[in-house]
Amino acid sequence: MGRNLSAAMKLLLVLLMLQAGATRAQLSIEIVGGGASQIPITVLPFGSEERFPERVSQIVSADLQRSGLFRLGSQGSVRPFPMEVSEVDYRYWQNEGSQTLVIGRVLERTDGKIDVRFRLLDVAKQSQLLGFSFVVSPNQLRVTAHRIADLIYEKLTGDAGVFATKICYVVKSGDLFELQVADADGYNPQVVHRYREPIISPQWSPDGNRIAYVSFEQQKPIVYVLNVYDGTRRVLASFEGSNSAPAWSPDGRRLAVTLTKDGVSQIYLINADGSGLFRLTYSQSIDTEPNFSPDGRHLLFTSDRAGGPQIYRMRVDGSGEPERMTFEGGYNVTPRHSPDGKSFVFIHRNAGRFNVAVQDIATRQVQLLTSGSFDQSPTFAPNGKMILYASEIKGRGILAAVSSDGRIKQRITAQAGDIREPAWGPLVNNRRKE
Amino acid sequence: MKHAAIAWCLVFLVAGCASQGQRGAEIEQRDLFDQSEAARRAEQQRQAEAEKQAQILREQEELKRQLEEQQRRQAEQQAAQGAQAPEGTAAGQRPDSPVIRPLSSGTVGEGQAGGDPWAQLKEPGSLLSQRSIYYDFDRYDIKEDYVPIVEAHAKFLVANPDMKVVIQGNCDDRGSREYNLALGQRRADSVKRAMVLLGVKPRQIETVSFGAEKPIAFGQDEESWAKNRRSDIVYLNEPS
Repeated sequence: MGRNLSAAMKLLLVLLMLQAGATRAQLSIEIVGGGASQIPITVLPFGSEERFPERVSQIVSADLQRSGLFRLGSQGSVRPFPMEVSEVDYRYWQNEGSQTLVIGRVLERTDGKIDVRFRLLDVAKQSQLLGFSFVVSPNQLRVTAHRIADLIYEKLTGDAGVFATKICYVVKSGDLFELQVADADGYNPQVVHRYREPIISPQWSPDGNRIAYVSFEQQKPIVYVLNVYDGTRRVLASFEGSNSAPAWSPDGRRLAVTLTKDGVSQIYLINADGSGLFRLTYSQSIDTEPNFSPDGRHLLFTSDRAGGPQIYRMRVDGSGEPERMTFEGGYNVTPRHSPDGKSFVFIHRNAGRFNVAVQDIATRQVQLLTSGSFDQSPTFAPNGKMILYASEIKGRGILAAVSSDGRIKQRITAQAGDIREPAWGPLVNNRRKE
Repeated sequence: MKHAAIAWCLVFLVAGCASQGQRGAEIEQRDLFDQSEAARRAEQQRQAEAEKQAQILREQEELKRQLEEQQRRQAEQQAAQGAQAPEGTAAGQRPDSPVIRPLSSGTVGEGQAGGDPWAQLKEPGSLLSQRSIYYDFDRYDIKEDYVPIVEAHAKFLVANPDMKVVIQGNCDDRGSREYNLALGQRRADSVKRAMVLLGVKPRQIETVSFGAEKPIAFGQDEESWAKNRRSDIVYLNEPS
């Protein structure tokens, strides 16, 4: 521990706590495709929201629109906007073509906290579908708006909303590599690691507090675990040779990693505190990129045991022979289970292009989801509906997202630098106080 | 085969002792099981070891074949050029070919005993001044063109046993960063293995992979990718 600390100091590694991070260039998200059938919804401005630094209704609207599953209706001509159910003229909104209506208000309380209330109304049935009140601090307005969008999304689509989740990714600008954490809508990016050596393979712990990643700061790949909320970092795996490809078990108690300490890259299990190393694969070939199934019983991984890299599945207890999963093409890499465990995404090489594909584990049916040239590092949203991945435009790294049915596409760009290696954070029920 | 037979004899011997010994049946049984399990594992390990040896042998054969082929072609080339221009080494069309030939004809070892090794490494146009081995996409085998470079450095390291190198494996940045990291390691390890087969002490060679993370060319085209698919031989403490 002491050694790690002094090494970190010596290297002038910049580790910033999330709360203390400077404001960074925002990511901008652009929708390039839309769902076939969109749910019509009208989100009206919330009462007195304009007095606060964040306009809650605008954040809710942007979230819903960006998902590609909603069509936002006109705000009509009734002024002032209704804030309570008693003020809603359902017939008017029916004539406007609205099916669902979102109203709300934002009130400052005497204790300095803010009371945010919203209601989701069914216009045809003239009834309330949802209604909630939140008492929050001023700096929680954005995340509260995301929470409201999550509730609306869940009510109308039946799937969990992921607007209040976080993503992390690596930005390379000039000689510097940064690990950044941002809200799922790209806002509020914070640097949690900055150094002039590469970083790859960030992976969120299931509780959303820690990120395991690979840094080359010691001139070779070493796996670290960083607590993004208190800024503490520890070495997870620093064995002879290369240490990489961390993957958390669903209970967060251990990780699978790839090591070369015994020769060629093989997969090992290690406890989250760095103890209890256990070798899992015994092959003469490259075995890497492990990924746990949501039930914690299987690993998907990449191996070149049959010549080129293909995806295999094995039991976490090491019993039985690994089963080959991919057979189309000579290059299939980076498997990631869907949150329901029924399918996995991966990168498939076809005619010189590298694209995101999804394969059903039971039927083995494969669907190509993207059409870029150099797509990499796919990561599922925790509701399984979207897949975030690294792509490029004119040689510059960008992030992109595609819905798991391939219909909705988003492009996410930073103002400067190469952006790559995304990882979508988990759904966290009791979010930490921000 | 012989080893396996001996191993099994040992197992029976131990088993025999156990059954003739005390009568604590349960404990003895467990003991017996452990022994056979250990023997089975030892056998597995031996098989893996044998496989590895066979693999090394195969690679050694292949390397030898490549070296012989190389020398044969050099001899032919020399013969042909000798016929054309007995003294004219400068007549070569490629700018590097006249210098390459004398160094790769197997006399490097004797030639270098006296001189300053650091100076030899830097001699312009020499094989030793070439430090990179290039690969095809998703491959880690040393192509024939680069065997003379590996051979020259191996000879140099044999002649200078105090010298150490780090072999750095690199890849182009397409596909998977993690798979590329593993592939870069294989590239570096394959150079190390070839050098060890040529007599270099394993302790003289360290390998590391940078995967696709330290490109030297940045275009999205084959020319750039080809430059990035490479192993670099880096001498420790080499004066710049």
